[in-house]
Amino acid sequence: MTKVAPTRPTGSGPGRLLVAVYGILALAATARGIYQVATKLSDAPVAYLLSLFSGVVYILATIALATDRRRLAWVTVLVELVGVLVVGTLSVVDVGEFPDETVWSGFGAGYGYIPLVLPFLGLLWLWRTGHRAPDDVAAADSTDDDGAATVG
Amino acid sequence: MVVRDARALVNGPALGPVGWGLVILPVALLVGALCVALAAWAAWFVAADRAVVLRQLWGGAVVEAVLVVQGVIAAAVLATGDHDVDAALFWGYVVVQLIVLPIAAAWAFAERTRWSSVVLLVAALTTGFLEYRLWQIWGVS
Repeated sequence: MTKVAPTRPTGSGPGRLLVAVYGILALAATARGIYQVATKLSDAPVAYLLSLFSGVVYILATIALATDRRRLAWVTVLVELVGVLVVGTLSVVDVGEFPDETVWSGFGAGYGYIPLVLPFLGLLWLWRTGHRAPDDVAAADSTDDDGAATVG
Repeated sequence: MVVRDARALVNGPALGPVGWGLVILPVALLVGALCVALAAWAAWFVAADRAVVLRQLWGGAVVEAVLVVQGVIAAAVLATGDHDVDAALFWGYVVVQLIVLPIAAAWAFAERTRWSSVVLLVAALTTGFLEYRLWQIWGVS
């Protein structure tokens, strides 16, 4: 994909924890979205489709972080940040039946505010891994995107 | 909601959701205790800066085995008679709960640092939390 600047893989070391938490949220949000869309879509279509959408975003972010697809990771984490802030705000000011039941409602209060904290950690991690320490660069420049593509 | 209540009323005082909840309770407590134990074990390894060891994965396998037993019991209970449990929601949680620990186990092979222990810790806590939610779904509805 992108020309490989000297970067650390996003999915190893501490990144594993990030990917794990993203994965759990992906599971939770997607399962919830599927359940809502399948059983009661007509009750609040916007909120439930949003729920499913958030699940898809988390899945993509998880895959991107796990396989070191940096551009996709940036995009999905940013979408997620915007999502949690916008939906969180809307749910607090209460616009009708809007998103009362999504992962992002109330800034992720139903999930221990993890959905609010996670994008910031994700961005921080992407930024950190984007600047490899100088001595690491010399040691590990043989890595390239082919390796990432075969994972998972 | 109203329809469900009426149905429960008609069907009389046979073992209702709460009664069956008591059948499930020991299993739920067992799962919870095992998850806490596994999480504590993983936390110890995090503190000691060690990667997950195979013995911990066997511990995870024990949890999974109990979860399968729980699923069989739940299926049997739900199949015999009229229950107020939201089946789609319940089985959704069951499936998600079954998936979490195996993923953490797969991770343990890929990441041979303390971070695999961190992941196992998170997975064990998540499994325990999902058990709590399952219990809620079972009891509240």
